[in-house]
Amino acid sequence: MKKKARSRGNNTALRDNYSLQAVDDYNVRTYLLKHLKDKKSREALIAEHREHPRGGPTLPGSPPPLQSAPLAQLVDMLRMVPQGGKHTIVETIPWKEYSIGVLPGRRGGNVKITREIYSSREDAEHAIFLKRLKALCLKYDIKM
Amino acid sequence: MKQNYMLRITGYTDKCSVTPGEDINFYVHSEFDEKYRMDIVRLINGDTNPEGPGFKEKVVRNSVNGEYKGVNQPLMSGSYILVPNDEKLDVDSLTVAAFIYPTTPIVDIEGAPVGEQAILSKWDAKKKTGYGLFINDSGELEFRLGRGRGKLSTFSSKKPLLRKVWYKVYASFDAESGQVVVGQIPYLTATNGGHGMSMLHPREDTESIRKYRAPPGISAGKNKCPLLMAASTLNTDSNRTLFGKHFNYLAEPLSIPEHTTKYNGKIERPRLSNEALSLDQIEILLNNQKFESLPTELRASLIGFWDFCENITVDASSTKITDCSPNNFHGVGVNLPVRGVIGHNWSSHFMSFKHGPQEYGAIHFHDESVDDARWTSSFKLKISDKMESGVYAARLRVKGLSSPDHEDYIPFFVKPPAGTTTARIALVMSTHSYMAYANDNLSVNSVIAELLTGQVPLLQPEDLLLNQERGYGLGTYTSYRDGWGVNISSRLRPILNMRPKYLHILSPSIWQFNADLHLVDWLHELGYSVDIYTDEDVHREGVSLLKKYPLVLTGHHPEYISEEQMDAYHDYQLQGGRWMYLAANGFYWVCVPHPDNPNIIEVRKGDNGTRAWTVTPGEYCNAFDGKHGGLWRVRGRVMSKLLGVTFTSFGLTYSSYYRRAPDSQLPECKWIFKGIGKNEPIGNFGLVGGGAAGLELDRYDLELGTPHNAYLLAHSEGHNDIFVSVTEESTFNARGYIPGGTGETNPWTRADIVYYKTPNDGAVFSVGSMSWCGSLQHNNYDNNVSKIMQNIIDGFLKEGPLP
Repeated sequence: MKKKARSRGNNTALRDNYSLQAVDDYNVRTYLLKHLKDKKSREALIAEHREHPRGGPTLPGSPPPLQSAPLAQLVDMLRMVPQGGKHTIVETIPWKEYSIGVLPGRRGGNVKITREIYSSREDAEHAIFLKRLKALCLKYDIKM
Repeated sequence: MKQNYMLRITGYTDKCSVTPGEDINFYVHSEFDEKYRMDIVRLINGDTNPEGPGFKEKVVRNSVNGEYKGVNQPLMSGSYILVPNDEKLDVDSLTVAAFIYPTTPIVDIEGAPVGEQAILSKWDAKKKTGYGLFINDSGELEFRLGRGRGKLSTFSSKKPLLRKVWYKVYASFDAESGQVVVGQIPYLTATNGGHGMSMLHPREDTESIRKYRAPPGISAGKNKCPLLMAASTLNTDSNRTLFGKHFNYLAEPLSIPEHTTKYNGKIERPRLSNEALSLDQIEILLNNQKFESLPTELRASLIGFWDFCENITVDASSTKITDCSPNNFHGVGVNLPVRGVIGHNWSSHFMSFKHGPQEYGAIHFHDESVDDARWTSSFKLKISDKMESGVYAARLRVKGLSSPDHEDYIPFFVKPPAGTTTARIALVMSTHSYMAYANDNLSVNSVIAELLTGQVPLLQPEDLLLNQERGYGLGTYTSYRDGWGVNISSRLRPILNMRPKYLHILSPSIWQFNADLHLVDWLHELGYSVDIYTDEDVHREGVSLLKKYPLVLTGHHPEYISEEQMDAYHDYQLQGGRWMYLAANGFYWVCVPHPDNPNIIEVRKGDNGTRAWTVTPGEYCNAFDGKHGGLWRVRGRVMSKLLGVTFTSFGLTYSSYYRRAPDSQLPECKWIFKGIGKNEPIGNFGLVGGGAAGLELDRYDLELGTPHNAYLLAHSEGHNDIFVSVTEESTFNARGYIPGGTGETNPWTRADIVYYKTPNDGAVFSVGSMSWCGSLQHNNYDNNVSKIMQNIIDGFLKEGPLP
């Protein structure tokens, strides 16, 4: 990720929470980029997510459906996207229709409901994962 | 794209729990002034999941059922102090002074501009008349004088106030000379900011004393506005009044204005004089807490000298604000501004306002607080003798439509007729916890919620209205816009997540009220007769209520409990009561109903516990009772002493199942598992995360008070890696095991089913999981969770000693 030059004054690096972002960036570069740059491994992560977008119950005789280490780290990072403009799911017909919404990021605003519709919560969850992944890849000049 | 897709109608009641013969009022808001159809219904099952038995309700024939005209009833949120209008408050020359601790001087924690905020004003915001000390939209202290018709002047400090810093602020105006002085002087000590700044350099960034000459013709014009602290007046009459309950000292209803320019932060020692005082005199005014210690020459000019610690006694619950000047311009705290908070002189030598009230002379105001919506009543229901004890609701349907955005339910609970019982089983609905979780708005506001739940939130029409309405006063799982945790929750406003059909963000499906309907439905389907009560009833009536029943059940998450309730359940066990705790993370937080209004609770989330926020240092004690807030564990009443199990882990995601433990085959216990195989997994199914062990988990712990003769009947296994340890047990975090481990590595991540006997043939059965009741309906109610429940209930209802 490109680092902006900053001037001192009121708008210090400290006020921008620079070091938290810098360490987050280090983690992406160190642990995730190799999985995201390589098309095959990226698609494997996407396929793994599609199988259990929201996880699943543990059944006797089987381990819980855990995500692989890189997918878990990736998903956690994508879940930490700031609230403003973040994609969400709006249930527009109970148990039947799930629309993609966009959060206003603050109280008092309205959630924008897009025309993008899915017939299951899992499909909507996966679609949002793909949108967030695409945005993360773009930051690191990876085209999906 | 769906336009205007959000809940169009909602409301609340004046009572939570009623008996036949009582009246209950309903207050309805119609977003677009649309008419609606209302029917009283009995709620049986609230879960609409197609994999379950489906939603169940029965219309209760009643004369109030019918069509009603809908009215948009806005909420007037934001706490402030009101001093009724008096001509003595209309002054020519004046000085206004106070200590303040602004928490959103320019923007809120989301970065949204807050705009102008009034500290102390007798100001008509429409006509621009009167006077007031404000923070302007650049975050600077600003004094205003206005006579109306454009004759308005503002005098600013020209320096921004900093967040979480105490200041002496003042303004004076000499009507004869026209001289105005405005000052903001930072007042930092090593401790007074709590976790705010204690070093300020250079002070010139924010310190300012400025002198002005007011233009000719400018003065403080008289008006009919009350004097407000933390707000100014938009309309003098809002058609709403204060009277009774937590305003029980008022002799008659007191009209409140429609208020604006709401302030976030603390105010302490507000003073008003009818002279332009010198800086030395202002120093004396602010440095003296007590009116009696003022020099005599200063006393004569004082119009108001408010002391916010004056009526701190065993608690700080009063909404009465004392003026110590001879004028007795006493004020009223509207929307429950937070008392019992540290002031500018807090030294850290006192951790309770009871021990050092002189260091707790501040009040914290929040522009989103609500104590009571004060809407106009829409209809009134008399509970008829024919209404059996149960869970009911007023079902509202705009244009008669049942779609999610056109329909709302306002729940209430009907007890048996006064002085009677109509069943041998009592079910206590967790109304204190419903209030604590009220209107969390986490779907829109919380980043961490996605990590806790392992999924993207699902928003329903309730969530969309809630965000537009800024949380309708919010609840204890969220923070005000200045970053302070919400410590007060009222049910005198719509609680949009306490509804049937509602899917909750903190669960893969349902939670709290709606999840408790799983149990209500199961009891109904299996033919168990049950009397319904609420936390409020147990709080008020104590063990004498519980003792009427040989068996008491609590719901899936009774987390917020008052001291009176703790005592009631403790004594019930000792006196031979039999109790089924069908939950996890219950009896956890100290919760205090307001002493004069049980519709409002207070919770202070201390610096320990699995919590949504952390209280400011020094503010651990509840204003409502003066006692230490936070975890019951911190007060020596860890839940395992009461229930045999203690909160150990949570993962607001998919669930798991239980395995039987050797004790389940003992002669004393095998009756509980009659009809269930020795190696049969328990609850590997269900409507809450697909298993009976989930959401939050409790374990036995002898060191933490599980009785030495308790039986361990079963334990869960296989929880996923979203499950983490509770924070109150964090000493050293270590990878893999407590408390750094997660479900797949940490054996403390489990739910234990525990059973033990108590004196006088009493007993306790605890399941240690919040998703237990979500498995009851599986396979048309024929499953091993349902079977264990039947065995226990039937066994507990038999008189005489247990096996």
